[in-house]
Amino acid sequence: MARLLDLAISAVLLAGLYATMAYGLGLVYGVLRVVNLAHGGVIMAGAYLGWVLHGRLRLDPYLSIPLVLVATYAFGALLYRGLVRHLPRGAAGGPASLLLLFGVWLVLRNAAYLLFTGDDQAIRTSYSTHAVPFLGTWVSVNRLAVLGIALVIPVALHLLLHRTYLGKAIRAAAQNAESCTLVGVDVERVYTVTFGLGTALAGLAGVLSATLFAFNPASGAGELLKSFVVVVLGGLGSVVGTAVAALILATVEVFAILVLPSYLTAAVGFVMLVIVLVVRPGGLFGQRVLG
Amino acid sequence: MTPLLATRAISRRFGGLWAVDGVDLALGDGEILGVIGPNGAGKTTLFALISGSLAPTSGEVLLEGRRLSGLPAHRVVRAGVVRTHQLVRPFPNLTVAENVAVGAIHGARRAGGGVAERTADALAFAGLADRAGQPPATLTLAGRKRLELARALATAPRVLLLDEVIAGVSPAEAQALAALVRRLRDERGISVVMIEHVMPAVMTLSDRVVVLDHGHKIAEGGPLDVVREPRVIEAYLGKGAAEART
Amino acid sequence: MSRARRSLAGIPLRAALPFAAAVGALALLPLVLDPYALNLVTLALVMIAGALAWNWMGGFAGQVSFGHAAMFGIGGFVAARLLLATPLPAPLAWLAGGLAAGIFALGAHPTLRLRGPYFSIATIGLGEAARLVFTYWERFTGGASGLSLPIVAGGKEALYSWALALAAAAVAASWGIRRSRFGLQLLAIKADVEAAADVGVSATLHQDLVFALSGAVVGIAGGLYASYFSFIEPNDLFGFDRSISFVLMCVIGGVGTVLGPVLGAIVFVILHQLLLASYPQLYLGLYGLLLVLIILFEPLGISGLALRVARRLGRGGPPPAPLVTSAAGPASPPGAGGGGRGLAP
Repeated sequence: MARLLDLAISAVLLAGLYATMAYGLGLVYGVLRVVNLAHGGVIMAGAYLGWVLHGRLRLDPYLSIPLVLVATYAFGALLYRGLVRHLPRGAAGGPASLLLLFGVWLVLRNAAYLLFTGDDQAIRTSYSTHAVPFLGTWVSVNRLAVLGIALVIPVALHLLLHRTYLGKAIRAAAQNAESCTLVGVDVERVYTVTFGLGTALAGLAGVLSATLFAFNPASGAGELLKSFVVVVLGGLGSVVGTAVAALILATVEVFAILVLPSYLTAAVGFVMLVIVLVVRPGGLFGQRVLG
Repeated sequence: MTPLLATRAISRRFGGLWAVDGVDLALGDGEILGVIGPNGAGKTTLFALISGSLAPTSGEVLLEGRRLSGLPAHRVVRAGVVRTHQLVRPFPNLTVAENVAVGAIHGARRAGGGVAERTADALAFAGLADRAGQPPATLTLAGRKRLELARALATAPRVLLLDEVIAGVSPAEAQALAALVRRLRDERGISVVMIEHVMPAVMTLSDRVVVLDHGHKIAEGGPLDVVREPRVIEAYLGKGAAEART
Repeated sequence: MSRARRSLAGIPLRAALPFAAAVGALALLPLVLDPYALNLVTLALVMIAGALAWNWMGGFAGQVSFGHAAMFGIGGFVAARLLLATPLPAPLAWLAGGLAAGIFALGAHPTLRLRGPYFSIATIGLGEAARLVFTYWERFTGGASGLSLPIVAGGKEALYSWALALAAAAVAASWGIRRSRFGLQLLAIKADVEAAADVGVSATLHQDLVFALSGAVVGIAGGLYASYFSFIEPNDLFGFDRSISFVLMCVIGGVGTVLGPVLGAIVFVILHQLLLASYPQLYLGLYGLLLVLIILFEPLGISGLALRVARRLGRGGPPPAPLVTSAAGPASPPGAGGGGRGLAP
């Protein structure tokens, strides 16, 4: 029983991380109709950024978040301006944007390998092993902090999208880019900001993940897959949907450890993806576009 | 007598909205049936339901009494019911002839004959023979509408569902396209259901007209009778308009 | 009409003669090449077959797979196990490996209901899942220590001939598919799944067929590759890099063209040999950079460049059909349709 409770708690905590990974991917796809294949690469890069800031500058990973956000936002905005903007999008775009962003991922991966070698790394802080008692079991403060941030992000995103002019422009562009141009919204700028935001969220997910798990330059494929499962399962732009989807994925993964040999648990995300896509192609919550 | 194509109380819900709600439709053999209605009336959704692109929430589609609904779109085509799209959708990576040949593959399977012959025939019928080797992007909008028609014709359909095949082109082109639709029926014996906004075309081509509004069928009958019905005038022009006219 | 008739009819001599001449000339190569060069050409031929097979899926049907290493590995290890355990002649073992890979591809049927990015990401998962399972399945693959294979009868020359036969068959098959009704329907699916279904094309059936075919040929290539190196390990055959290599060969040469993957595979093998020797830590990034540059500046790769040159020389004929990107495609507003747009019905 205590073991089950342990597992349930770790599922909830893990779900926070998965939701954070998914927001950026969903935002970019919802607005630009581009699946950012470099998403996993940026998560990996964010992890290294947090690790370097912590190792070299002694900066606490949670305090480094603003720096990571700024850096990955700039990277994303540049990526859009320099590369993605020049490609056709949506159904007409075909595989071009996929292949291009895949190339960016490879470059990121190689850069990380050159800079930091292929060794596994993790961010270890003085409180990494601290835990607080909860319902008769112990919960890591680190995981609680990650969950806390994961809960703040959707609120912040919601406020941004619904309360600011920029957010309204982003939502409008997601609905109908042509009309936006007609009423004087600078759609290209909106796209740049959106891509930057999506990338920054991936970077954030990277730092958070680095405080919990080991990573190396080859990390990212699993993260991309998990983000994608959450986006597809939860539907676009639905905060509740994303949370529930992340919880489902995390629960299945955590409990799979009980019944599957450890090497197979890595395949759980993939199996979930296929099942979800086949059974509920529209996702559990439909495909609302940032409504 | 069993109609060639019929829908029985066919309905489709999107979220809380009934896009098509309990529509009964009957198309006789060799008939041209016009479907009109204001924007958002559910006309294109109705076509998607008949052609199998969308599954109905309830109700059924019958071809000569046999159930079509539940079949995927490509099987509906093989049964002989083919739709065209309001926003033309040529395959941009294929030539005009290759576009038509894709349809002809299934036409040949259904009705016999070679793919090449079917393709040539459909191209000639649509007046595109001299554009065969070109990519669809070189065609005008009217040309692409002809291509859409030719591709559908090549599948050897018994029923064609034409979604605004005339709207959006110059008056001269519209007349030519309307003549093509009539020839589909007169020369090829194909029964036609057409959604159309261009009223003169609907009035002259259709044997019968069905009017949809908010997913419901609100009127049905001869083209001239239907447009006099107060409910139809109201649907198009708003409440009060019907009284003003009478 | 003449165009359609030509593309649906038999093989014109204009294409068959150079093809026969090239295969004939290549068949004589072992007489003049030193062993090192012959090895390299053998490898290139195996990769040509693999790249062409990937292209049926990625180029013709428009389904970009990042997971073809799964079929390559299954073909390789099934063939290796057969060669180790039975007296089966090598070519039959390779065929059996191909068959196993083809069946595996058919088993991936659920992913084929997906289109575009959905499919691509699912294949990343497919490839990674296969890599993990087979790396840990030590009794079958030997795990991280790999498997050693018996020498193929006839040695390197025999291997070369088989590789040439496989590559030639793959070229002929590509050419045939591109001009067949099957190929026409694949191209229609690639352009617009829904419009294709609306004229009778079953996307699921065609994609199942082409994925199985593609997987089987990649599997056979995996078997030949296993015999060629006579030592294989799951991390090489099933690796993510392996999947990327198929994508890259086609992108370099020209996705969706018939001869592009051939050129791409040759360039890739040479490049790989040079890079691995001189810059082993840089090759992944250079591949990435190459991918970015090609997609940005010449989406049809070498084939696109060749067409440009030909047109500049004034003998270009009609403009090439846009196979990778299509600016002329059905312009869908970014907001329309929702995610369901990417899914086959």
